[in-house]
Amino acid sequence: MASANMLWNSAKILGFPVPLASNGRWARFGCTFRHHPFEGSFFFNLLRSNCSSSTANSVWNDKEYLALSDEELMRQCEMDTFKASGPGGQHRNKRESAVRLKHIPTGITAQAVEDRSQHKNRASALARLRALLALKVRNLVDLEDYSPPPELLQILPLKSTIRPPECGPQIGPNNSKFLPGMQALLDLISTVDGSVADTAKLLGLTTGALSRLILSDDALRMAVNDIRMSKGMKPLK
Amino acid sequence: MRLSIGRSYLVAPHCVKSSRLISSSSSKPQIPLFLRPPNHSIKLTDLHKWYNWAKTLNSSVGSSFVDTDNGPDSTLLNRELKWLVQDAVEDKSVSSELGNEIEQNPKLGLRNVRLKVGIEELYRLWKQRIDERRPFQYIVGCEHWRDLILSVEEGVLIPRPETEALVDLVGKVVLDNEALREGFWVDLGTGSGAIAIGICRILEGGARVIATDLSSIALAVAGYNVQRYGLQDLIELRQGSWYKPLQDVRGKLSGIISNPPYIPSDNIFGLQAEVGKHEPIVALDGGSNGMDDLIHLCDEAAVMLKPGGFFAFETNGEDQCKLLVNYMENNHKGRFCNLKIVSDFVGIPRFTTGFLKEAI
Ligand SMILES: C[S@@+](CC[C@H](N)C(=O)[O-])C[C@H]1O[C@@H](n2cnc3c(N)ncnc32)[C@H](O)[C@@H]1O
Repeated sequence: MASANMLWNSAKILGFPVPLASNGRWARFGCTFRHHPFEGSFFFNLLRSNCSSSTANSVWNDKEYLALSDEELMRQCEMDTFKASGPGGQHRNKRESAVRLKHIPTGITAQAVEDRSQHKNRASALARLRALLALKVRNLVDLEDYSPPPELLQILPLKSTIRPPECGPQIGPNNSKFLPGMQALLDLISTVDGSVADTAKLLGLTTGALSRLILSDDALRMAVNDIRMSKGMKPLK
Repeated sequence: MRLSIGRSYLVAPHCVKSSRLISSSSSKPQIPLFLRPPNHSIKLTDLHKWYNWAKTLNSSVGSSFVDTDNGPDSTLLNRELKWLVQDAVEDKSVSSELGNEIEQNPKLGLRNVRLKVGIEELYRLWKQRIDERRPFQYIVGCEHWRDLILSVEEGVLIPRPETEALVDLVGKVVLDNEALREGFWVDLGTGSGAIAIGICRILEGGARVIATDLSSIALAVAGYNVQRYGLQDLIELRQGSWYKPLQDVRGKLSGIISNPPYIPSDNIFGLQAEVGKHEPIVALDGGSNGMDDLIHLCDEAAVMLKPGGFFAFETNGEDQCKLLVNYMENNHKGRFCNLKIVSDFVGIPRFTTGFLKEAI
């Protein structure tokens, strides 16, 4: 229940420039986004083979969103703060410090659970945004001589036949390094049109082993099922 | 803890308002609730009873505080109540059990839980929260600020979320200019020590930070917080008015950061009760237009900073930010450069920042 004099207020972050909403705003990345609203999520299909960064019209590789530092990612966002009217600062002792971030290039928004400090609210909104970017932003994978990137190898079970021993122990969903691996896995699954069997083959796993990995994390399972359903396949249970 | 007492503040021009003088207290700073030993034991049902009683009090408030002085509504009070439980219990799972679990499974209530405060005290504390509008942070004795948990008590300003950004500003400045990472940085009017501790950590040990305040209670609390974060070798506390206790570092400062009192005197009366009735007036009242201290800080920055040194001051908002920039451009022509107004997290212009020009 919010009192009437509060409102969500969009603000630039710490004076960082936020691009204005216009279609040309991301032109400097030379990319085009295809917008597929599907059950509330957005898929962006980009051809990774076009990604050489030296050419003038190189394609912005979405995977790089996750590689950005917090400040860099923040610069691509608009922040909404649950704000009460009034001058704030020393005048005020109130903690409506909920933070909502809108990632402008993708339109994805993430809201933080409320913490006791503003700083941590921002940090948890950013962490949620990273998870959503991994789940919702798709890159097309080049399947010719496919070899999985290290971040994907790290989340595979040890029995994968293509997983080199120097990869270390398997990284699970509670580790923040799981996100980039999960993103790479979803990219692969969506590129092979949702087939778990085909994906498993490319990763040196049995279909059963890959299914168990997918089902081990709710968010991952739901994202895989979104992909499968969009390709007319049955969801994994 | 080093505490060089600068007696000079007694003659400083900014202490003439008698209301702003505070009696010095020799009492030791209080230990925040969450750090106290769990010396009390109670049945979970009895804690649950208190919790429901407090929630009923909260709902009786409705939006009446919002209507009188833009204070908290019952939603906010319920959130604070949860935080109080978090700080008061030893076993964190109690917080969730107080919600639905205990109602679904009354047997849970028979178990004993360990508390850091007696149950009678909990009743008294929440009564103070509602009847006297005593700030929540004074009740639990701490405030979560950035990634820190700072001890606070009556007599010390509760650090505000807006102020967190001053630390980020310093972080950005030293990223662009590594040389500024060294030398002396000052936090003027340090209160709980929030800014001093924040910037000391962001400067990563390169700089010496001097934190000053007029108030003995503030310095005692700041000292406690500095110790708790193990920064006593990097942060020095000095008592006195603004730059008075800093004459030995005149012209040598790499950075000056301050959140001085900036509320215009006329506005003090209408403040939210938690602020106006409980926080120290010396931390809030900035004189007739709220800028007495800010102007003084700017004037002296010109002689206290080293060439190329950085300053950042928090203000009451857009008007004060603009006035400060104009003042510096006109009254200190050519001395400062890169003057900027920076907004806070809700988009209100909040900080004026700049550099003293490098000597040519
Ligand atoms: C708004 S509070 C800021 C406290 C802390 N820096 C923060 O941001 O949370 C202002 C502080 O300035 C101190 N103060 C007021 N007048 C002063 C003076 N003449 N010299 C030094 N400090 C002063 C007050 O005691 C108070 O701690």
